[in-house]
Amino acid sequence: MNNFTIIAALAATLGVSTAASAAELVFTSWGGTTQDVQKAAWADKFTEKTGTTVVQDGPTDYGKIKAMVEAAGVTWDVVDVEGDYAVQAGKAGLLEKLDFAVIDKTKLDPRFVTDYSVGSFYYSFVIGCNKDAVSACPKTWADLFDTAKFPGKRTFYKWSAPGVIEAALLADGVAADKLYPLDLDRAFKKLDTIKADIVWWSGGAQSQQLLASAEAPFGSFWNGRLTALAATGVTVETSWDQNITAADALVVPKGAKNKDEAMKFIALATSAEAQAEMAKGTGYAPINVGSPALMDAEVAKSLPDQQTASQVNADMGYWAENRDAIGERWYAWQAQ
Amino acid sequence: MALLTDTSSSAGAVKSRVVRQYNFAQTLPALLLILVFFVLPVLALLLRSVMEPEPGFGNYAELLGTTTYLKIFLNTFIVSALVTVVSLLIGFPVAWALAIMPSRLSTVVFAILILSMWTNLLTRTYAWMVLLQRTGVINKTLMGLGLINEPLPLVNNLIGVTIGMTYIMLPFIILPLYGVIRRIDPAILQAAALCGATRFQALTRILIPLAAPGMVSGALMVFVMSLGYFVTPALLGGTANMMLAELIAQFVQSLVNWGMGGAAALVLLVVTLTLYAIQLRLFGPARIGER
Repeated sequence: MNNFTIIAALAATLGVSTAASAAELVFTSWGGTTQDVQKAAWADKFTEKTGTTVVQDGPTDYGKIKAMVEAAGVTWDVVDVEGDYAVQAGKAGLLEKLDFAVIDKTKLDPRFVTDYSVGSFYYSFVIGCNKDAVSACPKTWADLFDTAKFPGKRTFYKWSAPGVIEAALLADGVAADKLYPLDLDRAFKKLDTIKADIVWWSGGAQSQQLLASAEAPFGSFWNGRLTALAATGVTVETSWDQNITAADALVVPKGAKNKDEAMKFIALATSAEAQAEMAKGTGYAPINVGSPALMDAEVAKSLPDQQTASQVNADMGYWAENRDAIGERWYAWQAQ
Repeated sequence: MALLTDTSSSAGAVKSRVVRQYNFAQTLPALLLILVFFVLPVLALLLRSVMEPEPGFGNYAELLGTTTYLKIFLNTFIVSALVTVVSLLIGFPVAWALAIMPSRLSTVVFAILILSMWTNLLTRTYAWMVLLQRTGVINKTLMGLGLINEPLPLVNNLIGVTIGMTYIMLPFIILPLYGVIRRIDPAILQAAALCGATRFQALTRILIPLAAPGMVSGALMVFVMSLGYFVTPALLGGTANMMLAELIAQFVQSLVNWGMGGAAALVLLVVTLTLYAIQLRLFGPARIGER
């Protein structure tokens, strides 16, 4: 973050962005390599086209969104959030309705469009393995949950979100089309069997560190992080078997100061070109159906949208309904 | 401060009152800052704990009536107590050595202590992660030497949290202890030796009792600071060793449940303030002034 961004972010936080606010927009995401690409592929292009400065902020924080909306002091204009949160927050009145006169949704993957959100990018939870560290790599979720066949530590996403519970149920033999409503008792029972061997990762960078150092030689990862890790020379094997998709979404918090600009920003960010750029940079899949045609065939082939053979879609609607209940149970189980 | 509270003569008392009022005026801007940016937001959060999702004490009932949350409270105390004891065991000899070593040497040791405090907390915690993990330097060395066959579980558990937090808390116990031990007249120890006390007796019957105020006040400070610690337990502990601060962050950030978050924060605040009040009562400026 350079000095200007810090000052701008401070100004935005204090609500003193008066004159500048006409030509300024605050975009908030999760930081790291993903936000770097979002800045290059979306924000810089947007500034080029409209002259509006895009201030980067982060990381996304749902507690902060709620506090800002309730205090009527919203300083974030466009926020990258998890798909299930977008559905829930839309219903809870925390988000602005998107203006589909400005945003062209005809070319967007309908799985990721609601009145309050459009997809930002979509990713899959896949099985990753450090080939240099072990003699055999787990290929299926059942393998990953089999500590007899694959002894050692395995790593999973720490937070309550679509992904791990689905993986546990698939590993336990639940058919992919019978996953929802999730059988939580069964999932936690399955998770209990490997609990002592789980190392949790709380962010993408940590997941890469765990895999590269073989602290946990296999586990469940965001596919893009494995692509990035392989590019650094680590011998990574990715198994796409029953890869579980989930998506991030772009939303506008209710009462955002630059609502009109925000809609234009989202329109650009979800355009075929911008989504193609984003996918190239991150290894995550575009949500605009026109994007793959604009991309290098090699790159397009490595993305989750090409791995549909055994793909499992996490049900964002189900998660939005049950997010709080699952979360409470999830964290209580972890703390036991 | 001992001088300001000197009430041995009436002239001193008058002077002290004037000085106090003058000092109070000087602290006003700082107090105002604390009021606006700390006290008011905390009050707002506490208000949420009895207003959300509905008015009443439901959040507190859930917090204190759920086994998982009670376990987290207990764990917070266990970790803090463990860190305090280990810090004392390591800190006491260091403080003692600092007090008796030549000043040129002690300057260097102080510089090391202070430098470590100035280094970014995250950096230091990540460094421990790299050292302690299964494929880390410590385990690799031990396995290379043939001392162990399987890597020791040093991180993502209670051991990792204790090591990481003790390291961070050490200066906070060494510095006050050093101050107390330095004030102990070395002649007392010589006198003890002349009277036939063994070195062990001199330690247990002279040095430790005389240093006790420093030990207790340093220990209380470390304990109170440990209670609210977040970064180190989050990175070096496993989910089964969760501490209260992590629970609060989880309520607010992941579950977006400000009511429960506020309730947990109030419990932490009450425990912390109680311990701080005990510390003030036992070793506060007023007591020092009386001596």
